[in-house]
This record gives sequence, structure tokens and C-alpha cells, in this order.
Amino acid sequence: MIEIKNLKKVYNGVTVVNVPGVEIRKGESVGLVGNNGAGKTTLFRMVLDLIRPETGQVLLNGENVAGHEHWKNYTASYLDEGFLIDYLTPEEYFYFIGGLHQQTQVHVDDYLAGLTDFFNGEILKKGKYIRDLSKGNQCKVGVASCLLQNPELLMLDEPFANIDPSTQFRLKSILKDLNKNKGVTTLISSHDLNHITDVCDRILLMEKGVIIKDIATSSSTLNELEEYFGVGQTISIETKVDAE
Amino acid sequence: MTSTFLRHELKAFWRSKNTGKSIAIRIVMGFFILYLFINMFVLGLFLNDILAKVFPKEDLVVSFCGILLMYFLFDLFTRLQLQELPTLRVQPYLQLPVKRNALVRYLAFTSLLSVFNLWPFVLFVPFIIKIISTDSGGVVALAFIVSLAGLTVFNNYFALYLKRKANLNGWIFLIAAGVIILIGLSDFFWHLFSIRKFSYLFFGNLVTHPVLAIAPLLLGAVMYYLNFSYLKDNLYLEELGSRKVAKYKSSTEYPLLSRFGSVGDLVANEIKLVFRNKRSKSAFIMGLFIMLYGLIFYTNPKMNNDSYKVFVSMFMTGIFIINYGQFMYSWQASHFDGLLVSKIKFSEFLKAKYLLFTIISTFFLLLTTPYAYFGWKTLLIEVVMYLWNIGVNTTLVLFFANRNYKRIDLSKGAAFNWEGVSGNQWILSIPLLVAPYVIYGPFAILHHNDAGLAMLAVVSLVFIFMRGFWIKKLEADFYNKRYTIAEGFRNK
Repeated sequence: MIEIKNLKKVYNGVTVVNVPGVEIRKGESVGLVGNNGAGKTTLFRMVLDLIRPETGQVLLNGENVAGHEHWKNYTASYLDEGFLIDYLTPEEYFYFIGGLHQQTQVHVDDYLAGLTDFFNGEILKKGKYIRDLSKGNQCKVGVASCLLQNPELLMLDEPFANIDPSTQFRLKSILKDLNKNKGVTTLISSHDLNHITDVCDRILLMEKGVIIKDIATSSSTLNELEEYFGVGQTISIETKVDAE
Repeated sequence: MTSTFLRHELKAFWRSKNTGKSIAIRIVMGFFILYLFINMFVLGLFLNDILAKVFPKEDLVVSFCGILLMYFLFDLFTRLQLQELPTLRVQPYLQLPVKRNALVRYLAFTSLLSVFNLWPFVLFVPFIIKIISTDSGGVVALAFIVSLAGLTVFNNYFALYLKRKANLNGWIFLIAAGVIILIGLSDFFWHLFSIRKFSYLFFGNLVTHPVLAIAPLLLGAVMYYLNFSYLKDNLYLEELGSRKVAKYKSSTEYPLLSRFGSVGDLVANEIKLVFRNKRSKSAFIMGLFIMLYGLIFYTNPKMNNDSYKVFVSMFMTGIFIINYGQFMYSWQASHFDGLLVSKIKFSEFLKAKYLLFTIISTFFLLLTTPYAYFGWKTLLIEVVMYLWNIGVNTTLVLFFANRNYKRIDLSKGAAFNWEGVSGNQWILSIPLLVAPYVIYGPFAILHHNDAGLAMLAVVSLVFIFMRGFWIKKLEADFYNKRYTIAEGFRNK
């Protein structure tokens, strides 16, 4: 599904991402963890052809993302609020995104009806533009618009960061369902080690632009990660940091 | 404490991305303010001559005293619309151990730094020195200046007080503006009372009793205190903000556009962009004002010739393309990443721009049809320039849009907002203004104006028929530049 070859990005002489090679197969659920500045978002942006890598390439389904647009048909992503058209109402935005995938408004309404629990009455028919929603609710709109697109590849950057606990649990079950039952490949970054090990079968740990660990999730993974992040501390303190 | 705030404020100014980057813009801005200042100053210097011309029968001092209050009424009206509230900048200090009084004092103090507070002095002090101090002595002149200061402070805080109230309840603004207009009308139209007489009643007496200057000073002080205590009681984020109380925002659809498929959807989005954001909306409203150009030019016999009409028509039918297009795609900067990763072909994106410009130019062309009153030729020229706008200018604007990397924050107003302005806009305006004359000019000089017009029409039509070709060119160009554009837009 995703093949990263020799990918490198340099800002002001500092290498922020350096990935010689990673392959993510169809149907995998992959979690990306790492401290602030590890290069997670930059990596995401390069996979989505938003920034130009110094060297190397990203192949989605064997096709280089740079210079092609076919991958947009089956890839849905939400990295930050910059992905939302903030002067639209959520409904208008969903219709727009649905329209891009040849879905009628009725179809979109149908789909959104299935997300009532996830929205928790905060999104639809509130008479607000997206820019007037809180960060957490904006995140809900972004995630929902991804789901609406029936993607084969779903990429989310820190989806758990701004949303409330109930929504976190609902999002987790949605993600698991997508991956296990619908075969969607998911690539998610998070600072919440509990959630990420719960949702993902494979964890990539990044440090200073390099993937230093590539582990299949098992019962010991959480401990392993906590050990890494709680550097030199007897009691591992879980630092939960919001968006970078 | 105030000095610390001020230092922070200065840093905010110099380090902000918009002010920090382009010195050229600041210089232009500086010249503009200087120009305004000189104008006002010259007006102030010759105020005695002007007053003598306007009110030839009256004594100079009498007419001067008469206009003072009128000025302050006008001043209040403009302040209500233009003066900015010094607001949310205090947000980072609210939770720190900083005395509320210090914060409020700072807010009140910085609001005095508005240019509005400069104009009354620039305008009236020269007159006071020239005429009043020579006629009635230094003490009276001082009394006048003190009264000016008092009224300025009063106006400053009164306008801010009203604006703060208006943020909580929009009607207050309408009522205040209505009352001021009513006062003006009842003087000039209904002659119920005379502001000038009322003004003279006070300032005339000031000449004989300089002590009266205390009254405006007192007014100013009371207003300051009122403002101060109001602010102190309401030092909460939601009340401080300049955001209006939110109304229910309903979803809209444009059924006609949906027939164009996803291109139509993109256009619908952009129309919403234009009307739901302050700055883009004023680009549109500006276009409506430009419609009046025709009245200015066509009614003037000296300017009522074909060459001028070409110029005026280009502006009237194309002002939106020029005004809005010069900042493309910065308008969409805040969600550009989203557009790039979603299932939109860039050629569709471009087609949507062409369609948007065509729709809005057509709208403006329809608005200008009444100018057929000045002859059918006028209408013909308007139609030709309309074709020119949707053919040539649209393509030019989009060519430059590929070279624009500056982000625009849509939520900010348009007045004196230089965000997103770069050298691009200056360069862009040259071909936009010159291109039609390169074609039309030679014919006009040889007195074959009609042939020139025909040439313009032919070139426009050629461009319109070549749209497909231009879209391909622009698309290829965009692929080379998209990373730079997207990165520029990400830079807040």
C-alpha cells in the first residue's frame, strides 16, 4: 500500500526526516509515535505530497505520489484544521467532500446519520461555521469527512489530542472496525501510548527524523514504549502533549 | 507595568510576520499617512482663508467656533466605523499576577494612540495660534486647545464605549449612528436647530471666559472614568473580543451551480468564501462603488471620449477580477492543504476560477447596462471590455496567482490590512492597466478608435476560445510551484 524509499527532508541544514525504507502492506494498522519534533507530521505531509522531499519517493499502490493524482481517489486524511474549509457549515463541507466522490446529498445525510453517536449532537444543525467550532469538534468534522470518503488508506495526525474521552473511545472502535472488518489501511500518529497500542497492530517509533523501532504490537509493547519515553525515570510519567 | 506592555506591543509589531517582512509596504504606508498629515496640516494652515470664503458675511472667530462642534460630531461618526478596539492583546496577561487596574489603564492608554486623536490638533491649532492668540491673547488660545483636548478624549472614549456595547448588542451601533445622522439632518435639512449656533454658544463664551475650558475637560474625564470602570467590570475574554454575538448560520446551496458538477461546487464554495469573510466581502462591495465611476467620467464632457470609456469600462466590469484576483489563491490559504489532498484535479480548480470570474463579471456588466443612457457606443465598449476581462485579465491574474505565496487571514477586516500584499500586486497591476492600451493606443492615436476596439474584441475572443490551452499551461506551471505555494500558506 505505502512504500517509502530513501526519503529525506532537510530544513536549514537539519535533517528532519530520514527514512531509508518502510513498507506498509494493505490492511495494516500502523501507529506512529515520537516526541515533538520527531518528524511525524513532516512524514505525513510527504506521504500526501504536500511538501517536496530532498531525495527519495513515496509510492502509494506502486505509484509515486508526486506527479500523480490517482492516489487521491482512495486516500483520506486529516492532519490539522488546515484541511477544513472553515467558512462553511459542517453540512456544507460534508456535501462538498461527498460531491467530490460523486455522492448525492441524500447519501451523505444517510452516512452522517450513522455517526450520530460520534458527533454527540455537537456538529450537525448547530448553525455554526466550522471556524466557530472548538478544536475538538473541528477534529470530529475532519475525521468524519475522512470516513465519508470510504477510503482504502486513512491517515490521521494526532486524532486523540483534542477530543473528549467518550469520543476517543468511539473513535477507537470506529478505527478498529474500519481496519478489521473493512480492510482499511490506517496510519495514525498519537502521543497517547495507551490508545495507539490499543488501535494499531504495528508501531513505528520515530526519533529525530529516523524510525528507530518497528514493532508488532504485543502485550509488552506498551511497557516497551513507556520505558523509552520515560527516559531515566523510576516512575514513568505520561506526558500528554497537545498538537505540536 | 504600562511600559512593559508597551515594549511587548512594540515587539509584537516588529516581529509580526506581516509587518516584519516587507519594508517597502511600510514605507508606502508611511508615505500615505504623511500625505494625509500634510493635507490636513495645509488645510489647518489655510483654515482662516477657507472659512472667510465659505462664510463671507461672518466674523472669522464666529465661524470657526461654529464648525468646531460640527467637526467633533463628524469625528464621532467616523470613529464609530473606523476606530479599532484595543482588545484581545491583553489575553496572555489576564491569568498572570498583574493588577486589573494596570491592564485596564494600559488598554485605555493605548486607545489614545489612535491617529484620530491627532487630526483635531493638526486641523485647528494653526488657526488658534494665527487668529485667536493674536486677537484675544495666549490664555484664550490655551483654553481653546484644552477644550479641543477634552473633546478629543471624550470622543475617543465615547466611541470605544459605544463600540464595546455594540459588540454585545448590534442595535446599539445602529441607534448611535442613527442619532448622529438625525442630529445632522435636523440641522441641515429640517433646520430644527443649528449645531453651529450651539457650538458658538460655548466656544464664543470661551473667548470671554477662558475658565469654561474646564467643562470639556471634565466631560473627557467622566467619559474616561466610565470607560475605565466598564472595562474593569467586563474584563472577560468573551466580552473583550471584537467578535459579534453569533447568529444561527444556515447552509446555502446554489442549485444552478450544481449543474457544473465539482467545478460548480468549487465555485459555490468560493462565492461563500467571498460573502462570509470580511475582507473578501469588502473586495466585492468595493466593486459596487466602482460602478459609480461611470457617473463621474461620463457626465464630464472632457472625459467623455472613447479612450476614457475603455479605461472606465474595464474597471467597472473587471474590478472584482483585479481586486479579488490579485490575492489569489491566498484567500484559500487556510485550507490549501485540504484542497491539495482532496480529490480535486487542479484543472478543475482553475476552471472554477474562470467560471467564478465570468459569473461575477457578468453580474457587474448587467449592473452597468443603464450607462447605455450615455449612448449605445458606451454599452458596446462595456461589452468589449467585459470580454477583455473574462478573456485576458482573468488569465493574467491566474498566471500571477501561481506566483503568490502569502497567506491571508480571512477573519481580519480590509481597511489598512496589508496582509498578503507583496511586490506581486504592484507588478500585476502594470500589465492589467497597460495591456489594453498596447492594443488600443496605436489605433486611437491614428484616430481609428473603432478599429482599436475591434482589435480588443478579437484578442479577447481569441483568449476566451483558448481557455483550454491556458488551463493546461497554468496547470503545468502550478505543478512546479505548488510546494512553494503550500509552504508559504502554512506560514502564519
